[in-house]
Amino acid sequence: MGEPQQSRRSVEHLPMAVPPPRIEAEVMDGRWYKTSDKPQWIERLELDTVDDVTYVHIFGGASPSPADWGRVRIQWPYASASNTSSAKAGGFVAQYDFDEMSVEVQANYNLGLLVVATFVTFKQPGALSDRFTREFFFRA
Amino acid sequence: MTAAAETAALALDAAVLAGEWINTNAEAGIARIVCTSHPDGTMRVRCSGRTAGGEIEDWSEVDAPLYSFTFESRQAGAFSAVFDLGYEEVRMQANVKAGVLVVASFNRFKDDSGRSNYFDREFFHRISKG
Repeated sequence: MGEPQQSRRSVEHLPMAVPPPRIEAEVMDGRWYKTSDKPQWIERLELDTVDDVTYVHIFGGASPSPADWGRVRIQWPYASASNTSSAKAGGFVAQYDFDEMSVEVQANYNLGLLVVATFVTFKQPGALSDRFTREFFFRA
Repeated sequence: MTAAAETAALALDAAVLAGEWINTNAEAGIARIVCTSHPDGTMRVRCSGRTAGGEIEDWSEVDAPLYSFTFESRQAGAFSAVFDLGYEEVRMQANVKAGVLVVASFNRFKDDSGRSNYFDREFFHRISKG
């Protein structure tokens, strides 16, 4: 006795998964430099996309920012518009984990600028407070 | 000093964040944010979202870690929060600037609706202090 078969109609009425449009994260690729002349948390960053996977490499500025944060895969790209069918990248989220702190990077791309926010969370309470940063970068 | 008291003593002051915030745009995706600070130094945030049909949706209340604008400050100026709505995850980035709560949201759909993840930015003014 074979497997029970669903009727064609029941198959037709199964909810079909619709893949979201591919977000063009590569529009953010490149080398990004800080707009401010003053020292800041992030000195510069690089974005590159390989086989539809986007990576960010951050270079630190003012202490206690590490000089080289390393290159990590971004968690997800986000579209720039809320009409839910947009395919143009508008931002990304990435996570860094250091010995003393974890950092969530939340960036958005707008009008040629990359606006990079970070939430810096220390693993042990100490003299320094957990900190929010928001800095601006232009593409070379 | 107990561990709890020590933690509270090291906590950031959430005075500029605590209270009820209303979106400056009456048609935006997030209608209202309520930030409640607690004696132990933690803060929780409740959001009311607006559906595409205009109905108000309670996103429930979540823990919201606090952040200052400098490493030396004990004054919180920002928070993060993550809301899991089942069909969607909303990562919220909020900071106060000139009395305005600037909220960036990173919206990721977890259903199979075919909708794109998207970034949004909205502004709120405070109607009552916590």
